[in-house]
This record gives sequence, C-alpha cells and structure tokens, in this order.
Amino acid sequence: MHPLYGTTAVAGIGLRQYKRGASPLPEQGVLVEAILAACADAGFDPAEVDGFVSYGDDKNEPVRLMPALGTRELKWSSVVWGGGGGGVAGAFGLAAAAILSGQASAVIVFRALVEGSSGRLSAAVMAHHLNDHMLAAGIVAPAQVCAIRANRMYEHHGVPASVAEELVRASYYHGSRNPEAVAYGSEFDLEEMRNSRWIAEPFRLFDCSRENDGAAAFLMVSAERARDLKRPPAYLLGCANGAEKGWGDLLENDDEALYATAGFRPIARRLYAETGLSPADIDVVQLYENFSAQGVASLIDHGFCTYENVAEVVRFDNLIAPTGKLPVNTGGGNFAQGFIHGIGTAYEAVKQLRGESANPVPGARTCLLAGGPGAPTVSSAIFANEIP
Amino acid sequence: MDANDGADAPYWNGLAEGRLMLPRCGGCGDWLWPAVSRCGPCGSETIEWVERSMRATIFSWTRTWHRFGFTESLDLPFVSIVATVDDCGIRLLGRLDDPDQVDPAIGEAIAGRIGATRVEGRDIPTIIWSRG
Repeated sequence: MHPLYGTTAVAGIGLRQYKRGASPLPEQGVLVEAILAACADAGFDPAEVDGFVSYGDDKNEPVRLMPALGTRELKWSSVVWGGGGGGVAGAFGLAAAAILSGQASAVIVFRALVEGSSGRLSAAVMAHHLNDHMLAAGIVAPAQVCAIRANRMYEHHGVPASVAEELVRASYYHGSRNPEAVAYGSEFDLEEMRNSRWIAEPFRLFDCSRENDGAAAFLMVSAERARDLKRPPAYLLGCANGAEKGWGDLLENDDEALYATAGFRPIARRLYAETGLSPADIDVVQLYENFSAQGVASLIDHGFCTYENVAEVVRFDNLIAPTGKLPVNTGGGNFAQGFIHGIGTAYEAVKQLRGESANPVPGARTCLLAGGPGAPTVSSAIFANEIP
Repeated sequence: MDANDGADAPYWNGLAEGRLMLPRCGGCGDWLWPAVSRCGPCGSETIEWVERSMRATIFSWTRTWHRFGFTESLDLPFVSIVATVDDCGIRLLGRLDDPDQVDPAIGEAIAGRIGATRVEGRDIPTIIWSRG
C-alpha cells in the first residue's frame, strides 16, 4: 500500500468568506481567524500547530503567523510551486509528507486572499506567468489563456460547448442551497447566463469564477491522532502533483494531444494507481472550475467521461446531489460557493465526508478533490471518511 | 519583463530586423520552443537560429471583449491566436486581423507581418496575422 493511503487526515476546518473587497480584516487577520476556527473545530490547541503549507503564491509566510497563533515552534513551512490554483490538492500531500516523515506533527493547509491586502488574484496569477510573447498577443488574463484551450477542445476535439452550461448550472444549483455560499438563496437564471456579456470567447461572464475575500484552513494530523480529536476524520487516501513531458509552461507548445486537456492525465493515473481506486469508486467530486471548459476538461482527464461521451455524463441531472450519479461541487464550487483561489472546494470535500454538506450525497465515502485545471503544475487528492 | 536577454533574445532581435527567427537543435535538428539553452532530448547545447517565412495555420484562438489591464492599446474586440508556423511546427502567440468578426477556423492558413503591441509605453514587436 502507498504510504499516503489513509495515514493522515483532516481533523479540523475553518472558513471565513466575504465579498471581494469587503473583508473586515486584513489578509493576515482573516487567515488567523480561519486557522483558529480549524483548531477549535478539532478541539486542538493552536499553539501546538508546528507546520504550514500553502500554494498559489500565497503571501502569508507562516513565521509571521506565530505571534497571533501563539505557535511554540515552527518545524515546517512550505508551498506548492505555481501561480495558479494547480497546487491546492498537492498542499495536502505536502502536509502529509511532513507528518509521515516526522518533520512536523500538526500541519495547517491554508490559502488566504483579501483584495485590499494583496490586490486582485487574477492579476497576481498573471504576474507569475506574463511575458512579452503573451503581452504582445493581448493575452494578459487567466480567462484568455483558458479560452484559447477551450476553443481547441470544442472545435478540434468535438466536445459540445453546451456541456459547460450543465456544469455551471449544477454549481449554482448547489450554491443556492448552501448557506455558506455566495449564491445562497438566489435562483439561477439560465437566460441571464446565456445573455451575459462576453469576456473572451467562448467564455461569457458566467463561465468564469469570480473572486472573494477570505481564507480557509485545514488542520492535518496523523490518522491515529485524528481519531482522538473532536470531529470525524477525513482521511487522505492519495495525492498526486506535477506535470508530464509535453505539458507545462511551454508557451502554448504542449503536445498536441495534451493541449486541450486540463493537465491531469498523469495525476489521475498516479492517483488511481496509488489508491487502488478508479473513477467508479469516487462518490462525489469537488472540482476546481476556474472556467467552465476547464472544469469539463478536468472531469475528462480524471476518467469520468471521454471526448466522445462527455455530453451523456456532464448533464445537470447527473451532476447534482442527491440523485445524480456524478455529484459535482456540492457546495457550489468556485462559481457559486465562492472563490478563494479554490480552497473552498477542499472545505466542501471535508463537509461532505462528515455528512455536513448542505447538499449531502447519500452514503458518500470517497471524495475526489481535483485542483486548479490548466495550470502548468496541477494536483488532485482523494479523501474518505473510512479507509476502504 | 524585458525579454531581450533571455534564451529567446534572437527571436526578438529578429523581429526588430523584420525577420522571423526560430531555434533548432544543432544536434538532432528538433525545433525548440520555448527557446532553451540545451536540447533536453539529445543533450546538445548548440542552438541554431533559422529564418522561417511568416506563414502558418491557426491552432486555436480567442476573441477578447473585456477590457483587461495591459490591453489598453488594442481596440475591442480583438482576436488572439496560437499559430503553427509552417515548416517547423513551432506555435507562436500572436494577433489576427479581425475586420469582419468572422470566427477563425482551426487549421486555416494565415500569413503574418511584423507589427507591435504597445503595453505601458513600450512597443513589443509581434506578428500580426491575416487570412489567406
């Protein structure tokens, strides 16, 4: 069995989320609140946290959190490389690596984003990637980068563009029923989506995630220790992070067969091989959708459907809890739950496995967390509420 | 973000001189893009820069309608493309003339001329592509 399989767990979660620009506290303050909430959730003394992991160029260096948290000793602080959200799931693998190798024992995985402190996320992501080739082509935003790939997937690989709408509707359906979601209580208007303004073809406004202020934190400990804490553990069964040859930061020169993917083929391959699971064993998916088409590409990469049968699988009825066979983004996802660089998808993964989701999937035991699609480095993880 | 001291400097210098120059491995002959100092597959560190004609096919595209920062010099909407350069297979980012807003088609033949995009007071050379 792979060393990651069921040996660590998320024992506590905390989320603070606000409208973009509306955070009552600066970024570090919101993050501290989220970490304290995660520790309180687990019944764990925050001063005992000895490790921190983040991703996506988070600006909050863990050593600076020590005074507010009362941290006794910092033993592990690390990030997953990459400017986009590709590293969100990989961050849990990094935390597990620290715990399993004895370099830390209680690790917080976090992401914080407050516009007033660190500006717009889209600008920060692009600052990580921009070069003169892109600037001269007028390609300056994640939406455009993903739009070019989306057009290739639709036009060359024959994926019907209508599937994007199915995914967006499912996210909003779940979000409208989740009290913690930005879309809570609002009826989704299909015509409004279809008539929303173009951003970069094929994306209209509703194909794009929209940023929130906030932070989320997850307390990870060994599986054994998690069982002694207050809440039911969400075990990490597996995690994979990286990129294969022919994919990456290649100025659009990825292998032709990989170009329109979301970059997850090697990630899914490893994740399933190392856990002994297959797509059929996944009860619910939390899917990072920066843009609608990339969410669809991610589902294809993870083996839930193919270019050929995508329209049969990515259907609104099939994607919603409790009746769909492939419930996706049961909290509302980045589109409708909220977008703090994707960390909300991990939050819903744990809620779902604890039976606390606003849109529960009956009997759900396993949850796939698919990280930010289309990034040069991507990652995914599988969590479970029991070790199969 | 000034790129003229990177591995792709001969590309930018070529555009400034009115030519499209692209890199090929001196060992195995593979075209290499993004520009690199060493050919990963064969290990050669001899990189040859070769002139290519500005003829290509459309690999993919997007038409931008939203006014993103850094695009202030471009009229909306504008079309950005990935172009596969003939006789080498290297894909370049560029812009496509879009006078009638006819959607580009993947595989469509295009021809380029050297132009520039003004970004924050700096003219960055680029290839502007047209159909036919």
